[in-house]
Amino acid sequence: MELKQAMEAATADLDVRPGFVGDVMAGARLRHTRRLLTATAVVALIAGVTTGVVLTRSPSDPPVPGPVSGDARLTAATGGDQAGNAELIQRSLTAWGKPTTIHNLVTEISPDAHVFWAGSTPEGRVSLIAQSVRLPGSTEPHALVGLVHDDTVVDQEIVYNNPGNQLSISREQGIYRLGSNENATYVVLSLGQKVFWSAKPVRGQDLRYSRQWQEAPFEDGVAVVTARPADKPVFIRTDTGPPTDNVNHDQDRIVPRQEARPQTTGQPQGGLGWRDAMWASSRQDLLGPVILQKTVSDDLKQRGYLDYGLPLMAWEVRAWLPDGRFAAVTETPDGLLGALYQADGTFERVLPGGPVVKGTPVPVRLALPDGQGTILADRGALLGPEERENAWLAPPGTTEVAVWRSGQQTVVPL
Amino acid sequence: MQDFEDFVALRSQALLRTAYLLCGGDIGAAEDILQDVLMNMYGKWRRIRTSPEAYARTALANAAANRWRRRSRKPEAPLELGAVPTARGHEQQVVDTDSVVRALGQLPRKMRAVLVLRFFDDLSEAETARTLGCGIGTVKSQTSRGLARMRELMGEQVLTWN
Repeated sequence: MELKQAMEAATADLDVRPGFVGDVMAGARLRHTRRLLTATAVVALIAGVTTGVVLTRSPSDPPVPGPVSGDARLTAATGGDQAGNAELIQRSLTAWGKPTTIHNLVTEISPDAHVFWAGSTPEGRVSLIAQSVRLPGSTEPHALVGLVHDDTVVDQEIVYNNPGNQLSISREQGIYRLGSNENATYVVLSLGQKVFWSAKPVRGQDLRYSRQWQEAPFEDGVAVVTARPADKPVFIRTDTGPPTDNVNHDQDRIVPRQEARPQTTGQPQGGLGWRDAMWASSRQDLLGPVILQKTVSDDLKQRGYLDYGLPLMAWEVRAWLPDGRFAAVTETPDGLLGALYQADGTFERVLPGGPVVKGTPVPVRLALPDGQGTILADRGALLGPEERENAWLAPPGTTEVAVWRSGQQTVVPL
Repeated sequence: MQDFEDFVALRSQALLRTAYLLCGGDIGAAEDILQDVLMNMYGKWRRIRTSPEAYARTALANAAANRWRRRSRKPEAPLELGAVPTARGHEQQVVDTDSVVRALGQLPRKMRAVLVLRFFDDLSEAETARTLGCGIGTVKSQTSRGLARMRELMGEQVLTWN
């Protein structure tokens, strides 16, 4: 037996306990709230102590030093075409000093705020600022970096300074969006790498998305790019060249705050809102890592069948087919989309489906090729002669399906 | 945080399987560290949402390692193997699955993590190195030694690998 097979077999029957997801969500929200409250309390305490110190300190006392992050931007010469504009820099620093929500997450703020870039954009003059901060439970100071525009802090982010690998994926986004939804200006930091951007994805006849990429032009480590958000601009920061394939490089993507909010990505229009992995066949074991370690939407995304920025689909229906192959289907904003795999897990082809209409009986109907039948799904219902829960792999030639819901049976033509 | 809840709903099973192997077959510990890792991800979701799976794997590997470090500080009874799921199918498969988990449980934590990430999660050497925060050379040497050790531990049930 291969090691891989042995490990898969050893874990094939493992699943999380009922209620696990609810426990995680409840615990996560509670933990997050506690952290915010603790941070706020500590900040309030520090503010009180600091105020007391300032009020009682004699004028000859040296200033109390704050945390000092090793971020080079804290001491770098100011770049940008407005670097000599002392008034802009002073106004930006004044705006930066006002309390923001991110201040609730830090326990100490250093007085070393520094404008490391000041420049002109189509939306007006902006400043990029760095400052040292300390976080709860962390001995190392970190940098707080953000952008100020028109006396307003557009966005701030904490740049983690942990040498350990756990936070290495929490990389700095370094991209800020200004302007309207019709026409936006993106201020992008190089951070020592190249940035490529692309808009207007094209979906080919093979159903894969393709994009034309161009390099962001940096000056003093900052690029200013104008694009229409409706054209779905995507930015990638990388050490190499632009993507030369149509594969989704989501791991290199950088996203401004306005486009990272869950509510802007949201659920797909007309989405079913299901949240399960359902089986249409009796055999319910999974393949190797090809299937086991990712959802079908992940797989389709990595293969370029889904464009950047789509939310993670929360449901899929899986089925082992009569000929030994494996199929899975989920939904996208464009309708149902599935994938067909060979028995060993090798991806064979994409399976396009029809539109998804919430509220219709048996809203998921994906006809499989080669006479393998049709995947049907209707969450919460019993389907077919076997009265399978949620999903059923109907044999070829099936023209109608019996659906049981709340004790009532209806026959739905296919 | 709809994205996050969707991620938890859909990926918990797969992540639990990785955690189970990383914990050497201790299902209780696997559930505990998975729940802890997922709860910690909630507050960082905006930063990690583009690669949540990679982040979760890294955090699970760290959590499993830290669990073993904590255990090693205070002597206690040897870790009993958690309940090994009984695979459906014929008896031989049951023996194989049981022994592979037992063998994994006897490996040093880093060596075990390398094998799990490389052969169960199908990560490349570079991805494994990035996940564990070590060099590719370390991954190569740990893989080689780990496979040899697995072969010793598995006795007559010879394992093969690609």
